[in-house]
Amino acid sequence: MNNMEDILWNYIDGNCTAEEQKTISNLIAGDEAYRLKYHELMKLNNEFAAMELDEPSMAFTYNVMEVIRTENVHVPLKATINKRIILGITIFFILTLVALLVVVFANFNWAGQKAPVNLSLGFTMPDINFSKARPLLEGFLFFDVVLGLYLFDTWLRRKKLVKQA
Amino acid sequence: MQSKLSDIELIQQTLAGDQGAYADLVKRHQRFVFTLAMRFAKVREDAEEIAQDCFIKAFRSLASFQGQAKFTTWLYSIVYTTSMTFLRKKRVATDSIDDENTFIQVEETASAYDINNAENRSRSFYLNQAIEQLLPDDAAIITLFYKGEQSLEEIAVALGMEANTIKVKLFRARQRLKEKLERNLKHEARELI
Repeated sequence: MNNMEDILWNYIDGNCTAEEQKTISNLIAGDEAYRLKYHELMKLNNEFAAMELDEPSMAFTYNVMEVIRTENVHVPLKATINKRIILGITIFFILTLVALLVVVFANFNWAGQKAPVNLSLGFTMPDINFSKARPLLEGFLFFDVVLGLYLFDTWLRRKKLVKQA
Repeated sequence: MQSKLSDIELIQQTLAGDQGAYADLVKRHQRFVFTLAMRFAKVREDAEEIAQDCFIKAFRSLASFQGQAKFTTWLYSIVYTTSMTFLRKKRVATDSIDDENTFIQVEETASAYDINNAENRSRSFYLNQAIEQLLPDDAAIITLFYKGEQSLEEIAVALGMEANTIKVKLFRARQRLKEKLERNLKHEARELI
């Protein structure tokens, strides 16, 4: 890039060192060809700088904000849930599970005989007859399996959607 | 009426939950973003779709804006990548993005466009017409340099190129624009005679 136009564009854009700038200024002042070219490029430069920007439609900002608002309507449902509520629910289920395990182990007949367990908590565990509750247990397990499969399917579908996006 | 707050202040307000601040940011930059999108898409409807997409993407990733570069430089880089993706999808670009033949059709259409109104055309009309005939990259660099208040280094960041490459491209783009402008004006003079 060392022809006259490149040198002059560099000068016009202000990409020259102070020394180069001085040399080019002298060239413009003393050389007719440089002077004419400089004026031609300056005219072009002014025209380029005066180019007009295009105007989008009147509803442009509204359309953008509408999309953002619609997106945000969905987000808070997920994002604004109080984490303490989640923690509370988790603790409740953990306590329930622990209590259930305690009841089960307390009533389990390890040697084929009933082994009363004294938890030294001032109460005796209730005597639950599991043979009578068998259909209930089976129903409960069946429900758990169906629920588990449903949740697994939902998770897989969501994963697939994320991958497609 | 547009907000007098700086871009950074408006971004901070947006991040604090004020969507109105983001609307001000959109209003402030929509004309330039739209113009830049027009340089790539050439069609108003497509350019509007690209520009809208850019502002939505910018909103989603606003929290990741570090503030090290100007907001506009960051925004224009989104415009560039979105436009390039759009062009790829439309199968206009990829291999032929640097192929001038791709735009011969556009050039011919533009030259023949609205001949009867020649006397009403201003020099700025011819300039816009000549810019439309440039390659998307050239048109974008010229627009960013003259209207986007971006330095060569900032344009390089926005377009993901070296500053020296941008400098060379700017020289060439100006040269091409000058040629096209002269050609269009000569063509128009012939039409008037």
